[in-house]
Order: sequence, then structure tokens, then C-alpha cells
Amino acid sequence: MISKFKERLENRHERCRELKKNGKKIMACFYGLVPKELIHAAGMVPIQLIEERNPEYDEKSKLLPYLCGLGRNLTGQIYEKVFDYVEGTMVGVVCDTNRHLLDIWVHNKVFPHNFLVRAPSRDTDAAVKYFAGEMKRLAGELEKISGNKVTEDGLRESISLFNENRNLFGQFYDQRPNTGISAEEAIYIFFSALVTPVEEHNDMMKRLLESLPTLQEDKKTRLMLCAINLNMAIDVIRMCEKYGASVVTDDFTHNSRYGSNNINENGDPYEALARGYLRQVPAPGIYSFEERATYIRDMMEKAGAKGMIYLIQLYCDAFAIEYAILKERFDAWNLTYLKMEAEDTPSSIEQLNVRVQSFVESLV
Amino acid sequence: MAEAEKPVISAELKTMMKKLSAGASYRRMMAAKEAGHPICVSSAGVPSEVLFAMDVYPIYPESLAAISAGIGKADEFFDEARDRDFSSTICSYTRCGLGISWTNKCAFGPIPEPDLFMTDVSLCCLHVTWWAYLEDHFKKPTYFMDMPATDNPDDPAYVDYYEEQIRGLVKFIEDNSNTVFDMERLKETVRNSDLTGHYWKKILELRKNKPSPASFRHMAGQILPLVTALGDKDPVDFYKAFVTHYENLIKAGVTPAEGGEKYRLIWNGIPIWHHLQIIDYFEKKGANFVWEPYTSLSWGNKTKSGRLDPENPFRTLAEKYTNVLSNKPIEKRYVHFDQAIKEYDIDGLVMFSNRSCRPMSIGQDEVVDMVRKNHDIPILIFEGDQADPEGFSWEDAKTRVDGFIEVLEARQR
Repeated sequence: MISKFKERLENRHERCRELKKNGKKIMACFYGLVPKELIHAAGMVPIQLIEERNPEYDEKSKLLPYLCGLGRNLTGQIYEKVFDYVEGTMVGVVCDTNRHLLDIWVHNKVFPHNFLVRAPSRDTDAAVKYFAGEMKRLAGELEKISGNKVTEDGLRESISLFNENRNLFGQFYDQRPNTGISAEEAIYIFFSALVTPVEEHNDMMKRLLESLPTLQEDKKTRLMLCAINLNMAIDVIRMCEKYGASVVTDDFTHNSRYGSNNINENGDPYEALARGYLRQVPAPGIYSFEERATYIRDMMEKAGAKGMIYLIQLYCDAFAIEYAILKERFDAWNLTYLKMEAEDTPSSIEQLNVRVQSFVESLV
Repeated sequence: MAEAEKPVISAELKTMMKKLSAGASYRRMMAAKEAGHPICVSSAGVPSEVLFAMDVYPIYPESLAAISAGIGKADEFFDEARDRDFSSTICSYTRCGLGISWTNKCAFGPIPEPDLFMTDVSLCCLHVTWWAYLEDHFKKPTYFMDMPATDNPDDPAYVDYYEEQIRGLVKFIEDNSNTVFDMERLKETVRNSDLTGHYWKKILELRKNKPSPASFRHMAGQILPLVTALGDKDPVDFYKAFVTHYENLIKAGVTPAEGGEKYRLIWNGIPIWHHLQIIDYFEKKGANFVWEPYTSLSWGNKTKSGRLDPENPFRTLAEKYTNVLSNKPIEKRYVHFDQAIKEYDIDGLVMFSNRSCRPMSIGQDEVVDMVRKNHDIPILIFEGDQADPEGFSWEDAKTRVDGFIEVLEARQR
């Protein structure tokens, strides 16, 4: 079963090209604050832009060296036409780099259609009203691309499908620490959701939940991993396992953002989307630090994790500042954690080996 | 022109300069606290006209960070941030500004305990996180002037939303202090702000003169009241007096470029506060910075008409503060460069690639490409940081300036 998730992730481009061949239109989302429900309701498939380790992409992006590797990598992929199947991109702002990379992409006309999701940072009634209007504007733009009208009923159905996916993830994360699913496998399960039509992923999740393997007795030191970059996370998971630890739960920027809350399925769906996204999706500065830190602490507790690794991708200022802020609580609560900062290159990652080893040994 | 022939700075202007210096601003803040007025930690971009109309005294951490860096007193604030695990990849204004908040002191002495926090969301995402942290850590009432990231700041719905935010700011201050809003006072501060912006623009216009009487060094030194005292009456007199001063310099043919103005340049970016002498170094070589987006497009009356309407204070402030350069597409940003190159008769462009300020730096290369395509002028790109001198080599910088000047020289032969 897991192999199917892995296959979906690894062959995402081929799958998307196939979808396109079969008449589906695809919109790219730059990070998790894009309301995917809207794209789905317009009859298109939302997929998230995902990093792919290849130093050539960073180089080809021709971006400033002090910008985060994710932005450089994605831009390089775009210039190399890796996403040649998408109609356009929608950017939900989480940091200055992702917000302003759009300016460069627009300038270089990399996609036929590019949209900035103009989201307020507050969730007051005025903000909700403004953002609901913004959702309607975006729906109108998406209708022009897809040729399909976004109806209120259709949007409610899309909301319901994504809620189902979130709920299935919730069940999975609840059960995961006591199953034989490894941390690396969990990554495939989650990241495949970002690049697979939601109906299909829901079916895969249901089948997975019916057949979750039971955990054999495991004496390994249990850890939690907080990270942003997929490939770096896999490397660190493997390091932990090499030194006798097991990552039993995780908090990826993408999955916590994607799976943290349900959108109201009743009433005005635009307003529901506005209320469901504004200050509800964990992102630095626009989500409660208390709730975020508490979530991490609770996840550790629930999974019986003795320690936590917080992995920052170098030059990601948003993630770096959020860590420093959360750290005040981690320290006050006496959580055991290791913060590491690295670039997504084999040599930079390699240097983390010793630190992971020492950390794991300190917990035994 | 010999030093003795330069028009002297008038006594009136000297008095104004003293009154609006950074030190004086600090003393006014202390006096305001003593008088029982609310002290507010504010970011640039918050409509200070409202604050002055409501007797709220703002402390600007970014200005204090720039001043600290300028006088070499920022290290302890950076150390404080480092000790708290704030990575050096985070904006230096943020790290230094937080250092100031944690230590309760600035370059001039202790700072009083603030009563309120407020920020402008449009500046950058880090501002939102910075103030969210202040709220979370210091547990004070905090207001976010919300302005979604946009690629269409002229959208009336967008301006409406921001106008509502300004009204919200008034309510926030009333709810969290003893201050009562008075519309007539707001009109007065908007009137002051309008005149301040008007005279500032006049100064910028005077720099079109050949030679220009003012350089970026002057502007960087004189911009402070525009940031910290906008809405007050004093900046009006301050900039008005400077207009007269620069007009006198023009009449006398005075320019800061040594040996006469040989090259007229643009500086793009925030000043390198820790090494402002780089501007002096250009001037020593006969080069003068006569236009900058930072001074021309980020401050002053940014409405379409170039003036504020005191009779409609909320709307006019909304129109002004929603006009944010980094919210405009790269092509529109380039238009400003194109105009300035023509109108100010520019010989070269210096781009400061500032690793702290992503909104200002991302897209710079694309602007450079457009300038190269349309104008035959040399371009120098510096990489560094606005306030943190780490990794900045003065010797390297001088060598690069020397090389750039040689290119300019060769083109004039």
C-alpha cells in the first residue's frame, strides 16, 4: 500500500501530464495557504510545487544566494519546464521570498496565469469580508481558465472532499506512532496528497487506514521531527534510524498547514473559506505561537517521543524566526530538542550526522 | 568652490536640526512618558499622523537599529539576539530591534516601558512575525495595520479595507489609553504631514539641478523626521528651511562631490548604515548620488496627486499608505528608474543587494536587466547588509568603487 503513495509522489509529473492529456487542467500552488478547494471547484486539479534535490535547479534559478533553497529550487525547476503541464500558479504568502518570487515569475512569464492570493493577516469580520471578496475574484479568474463555473454547491462539495482528506490524515496521525509505518513512509503518504487529485488520495487513505500494520515491539528511542524540506527530512530520518532512534511523529510545515483544520461546509462557502484559512493555518506570524508550540509538545507526548529535532533550511528566515520564538516555550517546558540549520545539499546534510548521533546517544 | 564661500547653514535651520535630531527625539520620548502619554513601539508605515493627533509617542525600532548601526553601537543588540538563537539570516533590523526591546535601552540610554505595539503589515512578512512576537512576549495590546500582499494596490476595495484599518487604529488607541480622538487634530496632523511631504519632494526636485546640492548622505541624515515625527509641525519648518538652504547652495554652485560633480548616480536600496562613509568615498571621487527609490518612493506624499487632503484624512492616508513600491510589478518599478535616469541625467547606477531586505532585493536583478537593455550606463552591485557589518569588507568595497569610477571616467573621456 505504501508503495502506491511513494509511486504517486515520485511519478507526480508523469501522472499530471497524463491527467492533462485526459482533459484535466492543473493549477500549481506555492505553499499551503492557497485555498485548493477553489481550484477544485473550478474543475481543475490543485498540486503543490515540491522541491526536488538537484543542485542544477538552484544554479539555474539565478536567484540571489541568500534566498532560501526552496525558492531557488522551485524557480530552477520552473525554468527547466519541469511543471510544463500547469496552467498557472497561485501564491499564498507565507514569507517575503515566496511572495516576491511571484514578481520574478510574472516578469519572466513562466506560466500563462499567475495569481497572488491577497490574504489579510487578521481574522476580524472586516478581514473575513475582504478575503471572501478575494475568493470570489479568484474564482472568477479560475473560471476563465477552466471554462467551468464555480457554483456555491460545487464549492461546498470541494470543501467537503478536502475536509475528508484532512480527517483521514487526522486519523492517520493519531494512529501512526503505534503502527509499523516508518517516518519516511509517512512522508510519502503526506507529500503524495499534495500532488494527487483529492478524490483519489481519499480512496488511498481509506485503504491505508483499513490495513495499518501493527507495531512490533520497538525499543528504539522515539523522536519527533519538525522540518520544512522533504529531502532533508528524509536524510535526517535515515540518520536517526542509523543511530538507533525512530522518528515516530512529525510536524512538517506543509502537513500541519494542510491538515490542521476543517472548513465549515454550511452557509456561504466563500466566507467559510475565508474563516477557514485566515489565522487557522500554521504559518509564522499569522498563527498563534502558543498553539503551535503546544501542538508540538502534545504530539511529542502522544507519540512518546523523548526528543525533538527542529530542522531549518538555511536562509529560510521565516522558519528560523519562528523557531527562535517557539524555543522560549520549548525551554520553559524543558523539552529536549536539537535545532539544526543546513542547506539541502549532500555536503551540508552530511555534517549533521555527528550532531544527530550525539543527540540520539544523549537520549539513550 | 572653497569651503569659506559655501553658504552657511542659517541659525534657524541649525535650531531645527537640533530640535529634530535623534537625540532630541529620544528626549522627547522620555518627556512624553513622564507626562503620562502612551508610548508605542511602532514600525515605519503606521500612519503616524494618527499617533500625533492622539498624543501617542512612537518608538521606531528600525530607526533605532539604523542609528545604532550608524554609530557602531549595535553589537550588543545583535549579541542578545544570537544568545536567544535568532539566526543571522534573519533581518538585522529585526534582530537589533528585538535586542533593543529585550534590553530596554537604545543608543541614547534606557527606553521607557512601552504601553502599546503596532505595526504595518505591508512592509514585509517579518514585520508581522516580529510584532506578533512582541505581543506574545511582552503581553501588551498590539495593533496590526493590516494590508494584504497585493499586486494591485490601486484596487478601491483594497484602499477601502486599509481605510477601515486606520479607523480601527483610532479605536484601538481609544480602547487602550485615555486618549480621545479629535477629528480637527487629525486634520491638522495630516496638514502638517502634507506640507512636510511637499517640502521633502521639493528637496528631491532640487537635486535635478546640475550640480546637485544634496547627496544621498544628506538625505539619509535628514530623513529621520519624516520617519519619526510626521504629523508634527516641526518637520514642516525643518524641511522648508532645508529647501531654502539647498536653493542657496544651488545659487552658489555648491555640490558635495569633491572637485565638482563629475558623475551623477542612483543608489538603490537602504543605506549601508554601518559604513555610510561609502557615500563619502564616492563623493571624494567626484560622484554624487542624486536619486534613490528609498528617499523618493518610500517616503513623502505618495498619493497620485502628490498631496494629502486634510479634509478627508482617513481616505487620503489610506491612499498614501497603500502605495507601496514592493507591491508593484517589476515593470512598474522599472518605470521609476527609467524616469529618474532621464530626468536626473544619470551616469551610473549602484544597486545594494541587501541580504536583510528580501522585498527590496528580490527583483533587483530584473530591474538591472531592464536598465541595461534601455540605458547605456554602468551598474555596480554591492552585496551586504543594512545594519549588520558582519562579512562587510571596507577595503573590498573601496576597490569596487575605484573600479566603477574608472569605468565612469573612461566613458567621459
